[in-house]
Amino acid sequence: MSLTTTPTTRATAAAGAGRTGADRPGNGAPGARAAKVEGRRGRRRSDVALTAVGVCALVGVLVTVWLGLWVTPPDRFMGNLVRLLYIHPSIAWVMYICYGVAFLSSLAYLWPRTRSLRFDKLAGASSEVGVVFTGLTLVTGSIWGRPTWGTWWTWDPLLTTTALLFVLYLGYLAVRRIPGEPEVCAKRSAIAAIVAFVDVPICYFSVLWWKSLHQPPSIADPVTGKTYIHGSMAWTLLLSFVSFTLVYVWLVARRYRLFVLAEREGDEGLALALAERRAESREAQA
Amino acid sequence: MNGYVEAGYVVGLGTLAAYAASLAVRERAARRRVGAGPAGTPFVAGTSHARVPGPDGAAGPEPVTGAPPDPASGDRR
Repeated sequence: MSLTTTPTTRATAAAGAGRTGADRPGNGAPGARAAKVEGRRGRRRSDVALTAVGVCALVGVLVTVWLGLWVTPPDRFMGNLVRLLYIHPSIAWVMYICYGVAFLSSLAYLWPRTRSLRFDKLAGASSEVGVVFTGLTLVTGSIWGRPTWGTWWTWDPLLTTTALLFVLYLGYLAVRRIPGEPEVCAKRSAIAAIVAFVDVPICYFSVLWWKSLHQPPSIADPVTGKTYIHGSMAWTLLLSFVSFTLVYVWLVARRYRLFVLAEREGDEGLALALAERRAESREAQA
Repeated sequence: MNGYVEAGYVVGLGTLAAYAASLAVRERAARRRVGAGPAGTPFVAGTSHARVPGPDGAAGPEPVTGAPPDPASGDRR
């Protein structure tokens, strides 16, 4: 079946596909119109919420930069290099959130009671953002490591497992692009996300399990809860964690919308192509 | 201050800003292609706003729909 059309058939098909008002099936019905109005209201509400999150994230990051670069004092041992640690741990924290959300969404998709393509889209959006944050974790860590450890890169367990995470989730994004039926693709992607997630706890606990050049958790004692940083340094780091989490929410929501739009674009293209074929067959019969 | 510190902030925040901008631009372009329907609503077959480009690359016929343009969504139909 050819998808090429002549101008005549295209115009006829468009007239068939884009019938106005009452003669279009379902469109003139009060229920469909109410759903459309409700959908538009819902989108405006989500736009307002997303803008609010975006503004809060931007303000939070700008204040973090101001506090981190100009207000907080230099560290006794690291000097000014400590300022890099107001963004590096927060970026790494968001990386873990990204993969955690992708893992839970994939589980929700595979679970028959909660199976919905929404979870597949959420997993895809979160993983893509996660890959960006993993890349940034590696780069900002490397920039900090060069003056502190004397090297840009070392095969330390944490660094190696983080690099592995980056590659695994790039592979996951590649798996998502393999063509096929949406349900088959979603199932395949969900399994890939769950397999890739195995590296996340290994990455997180590697500093405790093996002798590592990277320091173990140094913000607070995981057992006693005693904090090791205080004053403006602690507040700046806390603000950084909150701000980057808001950045994550904003980015994932944007990416999720792109998935929805791409899906709708595919559906509309298919509907239009079908209408064109019907118009062609009507012309052939006449 | 320290060249490494500045480099870290520029790379980290610059990359995030570039990624955020690319998402916003891609969403805007996708919305224009689809026809600015509400993102959260399910697609209803037969209510397509899509325009099919002609063989000469020119835009196809104007979408014939009952829905008015939505200025809040950046729809410039």
